[in-house]
Amino acid sequence: MTTPLLLGVLAGAVLSGTSLLYATLGETLVERSGIVNLGLEGVMLLGASVGFAVTAARGNPWLGLAAAGAAGAGANLLFGWLVVGRKANQLASGLAMMFFGFGASALVGTPYGGAVIAGLPKWRPGWLGELAWVRSTTLFNYDLLTWLAIPVAVLVAWVLFRTRWGLGLRAVGESPAAAYAAGRNTAALQYQALAAGGVLGGLAGAHLSLSLTRTWAEFMTGGRGFIAIALVIFSKWNPVRAIAGALLFGGAEALQLQMQARGSNVSPFILEMVPYVLTLLVLLVWGGSRRLNAPASLGRTFYGSN
Amino acid sequence: MKRFLFLAAALLVACGLLPACADSPGLVIGAIYVGNVNDYGYNRSFHDALTQVARDLPGVKLLEAENVPESADAERAMENLIHNGAKLIFPTSFGHADAARNVARRHKDVYFEYAGDGDAGRNFGIYFGSTQSAWYPMGVAAGRMTKSNKLGFVIGMPIGYAIGNVNAFELGARSVNPKAQTIVVVTGGWSDKAKEAGAANALLDQGCDVVAMHVDSPAAIIQTVEARGAMSIGFQSIEARALAPKGWLTGLGFTWAPFFKEVATSVMAGKFRAAAVYRGLGEMVALAPFGASVPPAVRKEVTAAADRVAKGFNPFTGPMKDNQGITQIGSGGSMGADQMGTFNWYVQGVVGKVR
Repeated sequence: MTTPLLLGVLAGAVLSGTSLLYATLGETLVERSGIVNLGLEGVMLLGASVGFAVTAARGNPWLGLAAAGAAGAGANLLFGWLVVGRKANQLASGLAMMFFGFGASALVGTPYGGAVIAGLPKWRPGWLGELAWVRSTTLFNYDLLTWLAIPVAVLVAWVLFRTRWGLGLRAVGESPAAAYAAGRNTAALQYQALAAGGVLGGLAGAHLSLSLTRTWAEFMTGGRGFIAIALVIFSKWNPVRAIAGALLFGGAEALQLQMQARGSNVSPFILEMVPYVLTLLVLLVWGGSRRLNAPASLGRTFYGSN
Repeated sequence: MKRFLFLAAALLVACGLLPACADSPGLVIGAIYVGNVNDYGYNRSFHDALTQVARDLPGVKLLEAENVPESADAERAMENLIHNGAKLIFPTSFGHADAARNVARRHKDVYFEYAGDGDAGRNFGIYFGSTQSAWYPMGVAAGRMTKSNKLGFVIGMPIGYAIGNVNAFELGARSVNPKAQTIVVVTGGWSDKAKEAGAANALLDQGCDVVAMHVDSPAAIIQTVEARGAMSIGFQSIEARALAPKGWLTGLGFTWAPFFKEVATSVMAGKFRAAAVYRGLGEMVALAPFGASVPPAVRKEVTAAADRVAKGFNPFTGPMKDNQGITQIGSGGSMGADQMGTFNWYVQGVVGKVR
């Protein structure tokens, strides 16, 4: 039974968009505190490789997931020590972290290269599984990370906009001097944002290696970290809008594959460009003025304290 | 007296050196791989063959470098191997060509065997397995086992060899099942695991129940297909069947060991001959064991088709039209093994566009 194009694209969008959403949420938290982390690609790779290695070594995907989150947090905290502790340039440090992530992830992952893992278990609610048009697809047959993706996005939005901690975080991102004058510990807040963002970034990578492909290969994120950074801008630094962004890009990637599988008359090379062209178009049309939407102090180093 | 002492000393030194000569390896082989040797795929096939050579031939030592990119970095890796004594180098990936040729020009006393195409040089040999015809019996298996008459094929990039594989697959399927169609999805790279999983999902969504592939490692695709309860046909390494206990039908794998042994023996005897060597089913390519779900009648048909190919049957004989209706091979014509890299059209029954 062939799946209608729209359903197939939706199914693919959710699968592909989960890791994008977690990465975007992590980067949103970090950028809201005023720090640009260009090394997100490296963080995701580290999460993917550590998660896979621990799962292959211990046979327990939950342990792998926890290890991936911890690895992501560790990498982001290292990045934090560079840009907050030592006041290094954020863009350069981020890129350095990316290369560090490439190498460190390969170091951890290569010995487990051929391991076969069961990965994260998938679960589909019984009543949905009875519908024929659902059963033949991957719809609603998701692992924990995918089921929790939207709730986590809502949670991050709630934390950012409805808690005192979130308020302090956003204040540091807009004007660290004002936050400092109001008595907040700007460095501590940025470290906390980096740790939380790192956990999300590590989980994003782990979804690729523990659920989507259940393998490990060098550079397996394939540029998703940078797509996530673009999605942060597209979603105007709002975690709930990030859901739309992740679905959009995941959907574009699924669309080109579904179109090939249906035998479209368009060259596969042009179809391959679709996700990236779409991202560019969307940024052009809906990107809005970065000046008005970005945290005012994004990318600036605060020399005032600690 | 002095002459006698000198002779005695020389004899003693010679006796002392002899055991040392017996200890040093007869040949050090160096190999570079584009990926991980544990990929159940392309790289594993070379690794398995070379370790077998090192095991079977006395005095052979094997040095390997994994994850060597297809760039100038490969030159560094090969220089490193030569520095460690390697006299026979195997650059195993298609994209290692330029780097390998550069190093071969600089080290005329080191021999190279490159897996790909092009011209052989004085110390530079070329080889590859002719997989295209070998995909014909794979198509026979898929054509018989499919219930939806839709077969999926994931390829990394639409190079001539990959297109040839798809064509032979469809020709084989059509020969036993005239309604069988092969749908091609291109991922854009030889090793993009997430896209491969997405491509496999897309093919299954569109109704394919057998999926084959030409990418570096079949692992991601086979695991995705197995998880959704469909059938798979493997490629690159026959060990991939371990990944799909239920859905595995059959597969192709490279068996380089006999050819590698020939080359190593010739280098050790000082008789290396640079040549372009392409061998097919039965020599450099082998059929994987059948999966449990394949009934005996189908096994017989597939094996019979494989025997025909091994004895010289060429599925690419005219007249043949492509999937746009244009005649590509005239009647009486055929495409030989040396033309496999020039394919730029799909046969009838294949759903897809080449460029």
